[in-house]
Amino acid sequence: MTKTEPSPIAVSDQSLVLASLEPDQLANAKKHPIPRRHLKTPELVIFWTLRLYLLFMMAVVSYQVWIAAH
Amino acid sequence: MKPAVSPAEEAVIITHEDVDRAHDRVRVSDARAHRGYTSNARLLWLLIGPGILVMLGENDGPSMLAYAATGAKFGVGFFLPFVVLTFCMAIVVQEMTVRLGAATHRGHAELIFERFGPFWGWFSMIDLGIGNFLTLITEFIAIRAGLGFFGVPPWAAISLALVVLYAALMSHRYWTWERITLAAAVFNLIFIPVALMAHPSWHSVGHAFLTWQPLPGFNKDVLLIVLADIGATVTPWMLFFQQSATVDKGMTTKDIHFGRIDTVLGAALASAAAIATVVATAPLFAHQMTADNFQAAEFAQALQPIIGRFGASLFALGMVEAGIVAAITISTSSAYAFGEVAHKPHSLNLPMGEGKAFYAVLTLCAAAAAGIVLIPTLPLVYVVLIVNVVAVLAMPPALVFLFMLVNDKEIMGDLISPLWANLLAGAVVFILTAAGILFGVSIIAPNIFAALGGT
Repeated sequence: MTKTEPSPIAVSDQSLVLASLEPDQLANAKKHPIPRRHLKTPELVIFWTLRLYLLFMMAVVSYQVWIAAH
Repeated sequence: MKPAVSPAEEAVIITHEDVDRAHDRVRVSDARAHRGYTSNARLLWLLIGPGILVMLGENDGPSMLAYAATGAKFGVGFFLPFVVLTFCMAIVVQEMTVRLGAATHRGHAELIFERFGPFWGWFSMIDLGIGNFLTLITEFIAIRAGLGFFGVPPWAAISLALVVLYAALMSHRYWTWERITLAAAVFNLIFIPVALMAHPSWHSVGHAFLTWQPLPGFNKDVLLIVLADIGATVTPWMLFFQQSATVDKGMTTKDIHFGRIDTVLGAALASAAAIATVVATAPLFAHQMTADNFQAAEFAQALQPIIGRFGASLFALGMVEAGIVAAITISTSSAYAFGEVAHKPHSLNLPMGEGKAFYAVLTLCAAAAAGIVLIPTLPLVYVVLIVNVVAVLAMPPALVFLFMLVNDKEIMGDLISPLWANLLAGAVVFILTAAGILFGVSIIAPNIFAALGGT
């Protein structure tokens, strides 16, 4: 079954879309989420380490800006 | 891995966005159906875009200013091959986004949220949002300063930039937007004639590429320039933009080869412009002029006695172009990411009525950044160097997400990265993290370089 949005789309265009695009290329297909990945402990450790690294470095940059401003 | 509910299992809903994309894909299929050089050239013409745009887009206001500061502070030497190295790193990283986009047809923000969950997804979005907004501000600073060289008042310069940005959007077609922005981006090469006007010593240029010398020393200022130059080529918004643009363009796994060519071509063009900028401002180093307080227009003014009024004008225009193209691509990357995360339609193929949220984010981001730039007395050179440094610091977490996604067999299938690509990506993460840590050490313990034999 094929149905269109309120704004009409020509039948020829509908056929063109179905012939030219892969099914998961359709805009509507993106409403279906991809299943969540289970994160293992080493992966979580890497994520947290890099997050803390970024927070620390942002503090360093802020300090550098403060020094330069004074 | 396909979505939990296959689109084929329920009613197929077709949108105007799909129709526009299908028309683009028909042209690609037609070109692919023929053989020969002409057909291959046409296929390349149809499939280039995201790679060139992302690379020339990243040759933005702060990046060109970082290259100009590099040439003025250190002349021709270590930094010429170093800039090429940074673009090689960019190729390694950006190629992964082409594969991800073509294989999953999902944007980068969307994949991070769905595969790793909203907790990590929001961290990633905050990094992107802050980085993009700060960078956008600096783009408009570059535009204001560049047009200021010709006596254009700040409000007129900013208004002109916003008009160009909105004009590119008016077609509501990805293809048209891409071609308009590509045409504007090619003007980045304007720095090449400027470099030629500076009459560089080709012997010194060749010597620098072959030997990486003279070396710039080892101190905090050098590290800041190193990070600024890295941040001028590899930044988080590039990951989000190229993957989303690849999806919006409708590229599939059959197009990955051309996506790679597009990326390498973009890197080659962008590195040529970057090297030209270093070479163009190198005479300032030879004349012992300081670049510490130079703004975009001031670089042009300082170069005027060396390359003439015409050359200086080209330099200023190059800064304007760099700012405008980057403002277009960076605000688009923010809008793509917002749409992907908020589950709102997100495509440059959307008619205004169907993409209100997408276009609103895009225009409001640009307008807000432009408004801030009209505040007088904003320091420029230091701000843009710091923006590039922040971009480098935010890259390792972004790269780890990218690395894990591109090695996720459930979504990538046979297109996961081979070992050599993972080794290269690992080396890029190591270099970026090490550069960031060294920068941090230089701030916290500024005397450590002297203790290690630096200055």
